[in-house]
Amino acid sequence: MKFFKFMVVVLCFTVTSCTIDKTDFEAEMRRDVTEYFEFKEAVSLHTNGYSISVEALNGTFFKGYNEIRLKIVNTQTNQPLNGSDVTLLPLLTNSDSNNTTSCPHRYDLVYNSDEQFYSGYAVFTSESDPMERWEVYISFSDNAQTFTVHQPINVQVQTNKNLNMSAFIGNDGEQYFIALVAPQKPKVAENELVAGIYKYNQPTTPAGNFPDPSQFSYSEVSNHTLLLDPRMPEPSMGNHSSPNNQDLTQQNDGLYYGVVNYTMTGNWTLNFILQNQNGEVIKGTEVPTDFTPGIEGAKSELYIDILF
Amino acid sequence: MLCWGISANGQNARVENDSTKVTELEEVIITAAVKKKIETEMKMAVSVDEFLASSENISFIKRGAYAWEPLLNNMSTERSTITIDGMHIFGACTDKMDPITSYVESNNLATIDIKSGQEGSMHGSTIAGSIDLKRKSTAFTDEKNWRGSYQTGFEFNNKQFFNLGNVSYSSDKFVADGSISYRKAENYSDGNNDEVNHSQFNKFNTSLGLAYKTSPLSSLRADAIFDVAKDVGYPALPMDLWLSRALITSVAYKQLFEEGLIRVWDSKIYFNAIEHYMDDTKRPENLVHMDMPGWSTTYGLVSKVNLIKDNLSSEIQLNAYNNLSIAEMRMYPQDRSERTMFAYSWPWVTTRYAGLSVNNSLDFTEKSQVNFGGSLGVNYNHSKYVDFNWIFYPGAPQEKTRLLPSLNANYILNISDFNFSVGAGYGHRAPSVSEGYGYYIYNSFDRYDYIGNPDLKNEISYEANASAGLKKEKMSIEAKVNYFHIQNYIIGKILSLGSPMNYQSVGVKGYTSLDYARLFNFSLNARYNILDHLHWNGTLTYARGQDDKDGNLPFIRPLSYQTSLQYHYKKFGVQTSVNGDLAQVHYSPEYGEDETPKYTVWNISADYTFYIKNVRSIFQMGAENILNEHYSTYADWGNIPRMGRNIFTSLKINF
Repeated sequence: MKFFKFMVVVLCFTVTSCTIDKTDFEAEMRRDVTEYFEFKEAVSLHTNGYSISVEALNGTFFKGYNEIRLKIVNTQTNQPLNGSDVTLLPLLTNSDSNNTTSCPHRYDLVYNSDEQFYSGYAVFTSESDPMERWEVYISFSDNAQTFTVHQPINVQVQTNKNLNMSAFIGNDGEQYFIALVAPQKPKVAENELVAGIYKYNQPTTPAGNFPDPSQFSYSEVSNHTLLLDPRMPEPSMGNHSSPNNQDLTQQNDGLYYGVVNYTMTGNWTLNFILQNQNGEVIKGTEVPTDFTPGIEGAKSELYIDILF
Repeated sequence: MLCWGISANGQNARVENDSTKVTELEEVIITAAVKKKIETEMKMAVSVDEFLASSENISFIKRGAYAWEPLLNNMSTERSTITIDGMHIFGACTDKMDPITSYVESNNLATIDIKSGQEGSMHGSTIAGSIDLKRKSTAFTDEKNWRGSYQTGFEFNNKQFFNLGNVSYSSDKFVADGSISYRKAENYSDGNNDEVNHSQFNKFNTSLGLAYKTSPLSSLRADAIFDVAKDVGYPALPMDLWLSRALITSVAYKQLFEEGLIRVWDSKIYFNAIEHYMDDTKRPENLVHMDMPGWSTTYGLVSKVNLIKDNLSSEIQLNAYNNLSIAEMRMYPQDRSERTMFAYSWPWVTTRYAGLSVNNSLDFTEKSQVNFGGSLGVNYNHSKYVDFNWIFYPGAPQEKTRLLPSLNANYILNISDFNFSVGAGYGHRAPSVSEGYGYYIYNSFDRYDYIGNPDLKNEISYEANASAGLKKEKMSIEAKVNYFHIQNYIIGKILSLGSPMNYQSVGVKGYTSLDYARLFNFSLNARYNILDHLHWNGTLTYARGQDDKDGNLPFIRPLSYQTSLQYHYKKFGVQTSVNGDLAQVHYSPEYGEDETPKYTVWNISADYTFYIKNVRSIFQMGAENILNEHYSTYADWGNIPRMGRNIFTSLKINF
């Protein structure tokens, strides 16, 4: 019987000794991705008895696409200001050259009467640093009176690579911007890919009083197509791609929607070709489909890297 | 009491097959006693794989020296049910590197029960048949009794050293069986005396069984097998096994009835957990470092009753199990500071099955018998991370329930020394976890990544079989044929979309249903006693498999033969055998095969039996592949060469 007792002890010991744990998949997906759902005040301004609250996701402005919500309150009556004509203009000043530029944004904000805020966006093209200073200029009207106010803001590094952006000069000589809007947290799955595509409108008139919005005009590119070809750039993945992706086309909200499939977590490159309504290529090149193990995947002229 | 003693021996469900009546329960004793030992004619110390290989129905896919995948009727393991005492166990390796046979050891098995085609549907739905590994279980005895055996040996080619020990205790109320074994082998050398790298293995296995007689006609039995394999190389693969572990447990209750319709009621609940960790830390040449852990956990129930009424005996079996299969892959970038890449190759797939199987045996006359039966099963699959499956099959259902019917009948006729049988079968099977839900499973044979399709139809088999034999005192000869027409035959086809994920692979294949495929198997077995002590035995097998476009199916064994001579005189025995395959003419380039040339292997062995103080001992020594033939078979992945000349020795002591 001793033998059996010994066996039982051996069994218990060997069964309980440690091995590899299963991967916590939900934690795995969170590892390099921060996801923000909540709008918080990023900056507040005060002028002539009005208080203006500028809200962004997590209360932070990031490089890339930022949805912006503005709330204006008359501090004397403590009543929100409804249905006003509100404009927003982000400006970037380089203290070296004293050159001022802007970035893609919605100048005339849209009033959301349900939740009583003014909705807009800005695609900040760089982070704030001592040499490059971002400011927002806001104007609104109340009782036939127009108020203008401006304040420096802080644009931070976007750590979530799934909200990266790209700025480039198209083959037509125009300046374009592509900014990823969603998904913030991709999955190993079919993902709806949302991007904003913008264009700088060259001023046609001489500059008026600063800040003259006509000098800083951007528009949403309409009816273009953004051809999509996702790849894994990692050399060992040999230019791996995924099936069943859909090119991005513009929907009613002005943004571009498509489908990207990520077959595993890690670094991915979204290779793009931007075509105008006539099918002419504005930017981007085809990526070879060769399987090239050991060589870093080739990229299109136009691409955005993501990571999850 | 003696009758019960042997019947408690458990899994010998021969009652229904015997044309005997209840009063002849002692007949059962005899069938139980003559059960096949786990040894081949050539070799007494064999691995489970080597033993299975001695059956003419079985061939093997080999990826190295360890854990061969048994093919039954030239069909892969998805098409057969492999069970241990009726318990369902599923390997945890997506590349099928751990067939169930790799989790047992020859010294904890009593026999292996192989049933061809739908006759094997007792244990669940199948196409090819069933392989049931039957564990050793000692009978209750009136006297207290200790028995044991010890076997040790050394094989020179791969320096395999093994030790197998068994001990059993029996009394009138209590029985215990224990076994322990350890094998350690280094790389083997092929017929050119070149070492085949990454062909080493280490295996530890132990088992324990305890039975208690709860009443004169009932008993309770608990069993456990624990198996660990470490540092197992797969020369045909870019990865090796770091560790695999299996814990296989069951509790069974058996009740006998002295009279009435029901004779035996045998129920068992079981649980088994398998972990299988593949990695490539020993392959520095690999471009990508990769881990591939897998887990498979199953629990279930088997309940069986045997009924006898007049000349009809029936067996009814309920099978139910729940399996969760998980397999992960994590790839490491060349710059290790970068983010690792992760995906599931089995995205937490649950399989639930419940089915009722019936097998009846009706004796018409003394000479003729009809066996007929069927089963009806419900198979349910659920994929937790169905997003993975949606990448290739958008909108595929997360859950799927299938109904799996099966029918079979055969007629057996004995006329003097001749025996004949004809039979037919019909059955469905559900796609396996890999076929339904696999995700970028790299197959190093055709070098494609495989994708499962959750919407695959059931595979449906129409089967016909026949056999004819002649048995005389000095000789016997038997021919068997079977033919399978399989509708919706599942096989990998190149997908035009997607690109490979594993750097060795050349493309992506999706599991697809062919309209049909056909398989034909033939075997001829003859035996002749030349002299009293000199016996000859010969086997010939042939198989042909074709798809719906008359193309060849992969892994179909070419014409193969085996012939052996045995001479026994007093305490000496000498055996020699020659076996081989002819050239593989009907190979399938489409499925990654190339033509495999013919080969012949010659083996010889001699044994001597002696007694040390009433302890019976046998010493055996022999050589396999004496001529050091350099060969690989049609089913060797990557055409890795088989073992060259191998001298083996073993010593067995029974006490």
